[in-house]
Amino acid sequence: MFNIDFQKIIDLLKFDPSDPLLFGSSLFLVLFFFLLLFYRIFASSKNARILLLLFFSLYFYYKASGIYFLLLIFSATINFGFGKFIFETKSQVVKKVLLIVNVVLNLGLLGYFKYTNFFIEIINDLKLGSFDPIDIFLPLGISFYTFKAMNYVLDIYLEAMEPTKSFRDFSLFVFFFPNILAGPIDRASQFIPQIEEDLAVTKEDIGKALLLIMSGLVKKIIIADYLSLNFVDRVFDSPLRFTGVENLFALYGYGLQIYCDFSGYSDIAIGISLLLGFKLRENFNSPYQATSIADFWRRWHISLSSWLLNYLFRPIQMKFRDLKMFSNIIAILVTFILCGLWHGASWMFLFWGLLHGFYMSVSLFLQKPKRMLYTKLGILNSKFLKVFQVIITFHLLAISWIFFRVKTFAEASDIFNQIYGFFDYQIIPQFIEGYTPTFILIVVGYVLHFLPRSLENKTAEILSKINPMFQAVILAFVIWLAAQIRSAELQPFIYFQF
Amino acid sequence: MISERMYKIICKTLGLEPGEVEIKDETLANQVPGWDSLNHVNVITAIEKDYAVRFKSIEVLKCKNVGDLQKLVDSKTNI
Repeated sequence: MFNIDFQKIIDLLKFDPSDPLLFGSSLFLVLFFFLLLFYRIFASSKNARILLLLFFSLYFYYKASGIYFLLLIFSATINFGFGKFIFETKSQVVKKVLLIVNVVLNLGLLGYFKYTNFFIEIINDLKLGSFDPIDIFLPLGISFYTFKAMNYVLDIYLEAMEPTKSFRDFSLFVFFFPNILAGPIDRASQFIPQIEEDLAVTKEDIGKALLLIMSGLVKKIIIADYLSLNFVDRVFDSPLRFTGVENLFALYGYGLQIYCDFSGYSDIAIGISLLLGFKLRENFNSPYQATSIADFWRRWHISLSSWLLNYLFRPIQMKFRDLKMFSNIIAILVTFILCGLWHGASWMFLFWGLLHGFYMSVSLFLQKPKRMLYTKLGILNSKFLKVFQVIITFHLLAISWIFFRVKTFAEASDIFNQIYGFFDYQIIPQFIEGYTPTFILIVVGYVLHFLPRSLENKTAEILSKINPMFQAVILAFVIWLAAQIRSAELQPFIYFQF
Repeated sequence: MISERMYKIICKTLGLEPGEVEIKDETLANQVPGWDSLNHVNVITAIEKDYAVRFKSIEVLKCKNVGDLQKLVDSKTNI
């Protein structure tokens, strides 16, 4: 009666480098439904619940990166061991040596998979030798889980936490599937204690989770994928074929796309974690509302920026503190160059990071004169100044996103040239007419971004009070809507490549 | 407890009027107006200069709150 093709099911469930378990995919929804079901059945048995999550997480990673799930186990094992050794060692010197070995091991692995070919390219470019690029598979999310695991050892070294005695708990921290491929880069000191708590998912948690999952799907599928496929990619793939107006709107569109793509993923990750009883770190806080680049980094990819602040910026700043303000500048430049490289092994990412470092260094020098000027003009702390700062910051960011998006400086130069050389205001109405859905989406996307946070909290509160049946109907409607709007296959999340 | 001397150094470095802000042992740097990640270096070097002490970087990095910083100063000045 039922003609089931088991081979097809097996193929569907097997590792496929081009088909990881994307949060919005039907396969993920089905598997996650069963996971939640069994998770609730095992609610009273902590051990069974954690083991279920551990195996599901390993499978989730296997589906994305195949045999490299062993790398996860290796990472968990060495970092658990080093955490224990550093804590138990009395000598500060030995602690430091152990930390250095640990950092070299973690970054060595990350470096091998992610940066080998970049180094080969540099060696070839500098004519120091001639090597062919090596075919190395990049295990998905390696930058995220390497930093996540390293944070545990670093915090033990800084005496900010004590190691966990449970390898099982630490493994769950490292493997936890919602944040393994693209963050948030959670902190062991906040995540591990939650494992030992009894499962408690409140009505408020469910309301918040639903809102996050729905907003994540809308951000990713309705805004980011639509903008990318129907407009941004077309313009940026051949900017010279488009006018300055289209290039400028593509730039605004890309700013929205990358935010919706990445924060959409984080929203879903935080949402599904809430349904499993785990509270992850906040990763975004309306970043384009920032009044300065420094403010932007307090709102964008917070789990990475705070990681870099604590474990890279602060140590460098303290090391060079006798140089006063220059200690800040050295620390800013080093941190942001490495932040750029963290995103990808290329000169463009390095330059993107350097540009952010440059922005912030310049603003450090301008801090006092700006304050004096604003006071003289009587606009210090005024609403007008805030709006002005938001607009300037947004455009500085938009410029930096060009380098994040393109592959070469020549492409970036083409975009700038089109915007400055072929910009005609009279084309704007034609643009709106020709790209109406895109234009509406960009406007609506940014308007939503600037809505107050209280509105979001209120919506979550209302959702939490709705009957579970209706909650399911609303969620199903959003998934259906996303499926209707989805113009092609679900696009991979931009941040997966990092 | 935070000493009067350290309280004054912090206020002076951050341009705060004494009494304008309350600083307790458990106060975090980012809870004090103006004590952001960039100004942190000025606060630390001002404390070092005033007390004529030298911290190791790791000692400062281990401080979780102002109370820890006070303890660090006390340990260096043998109070």
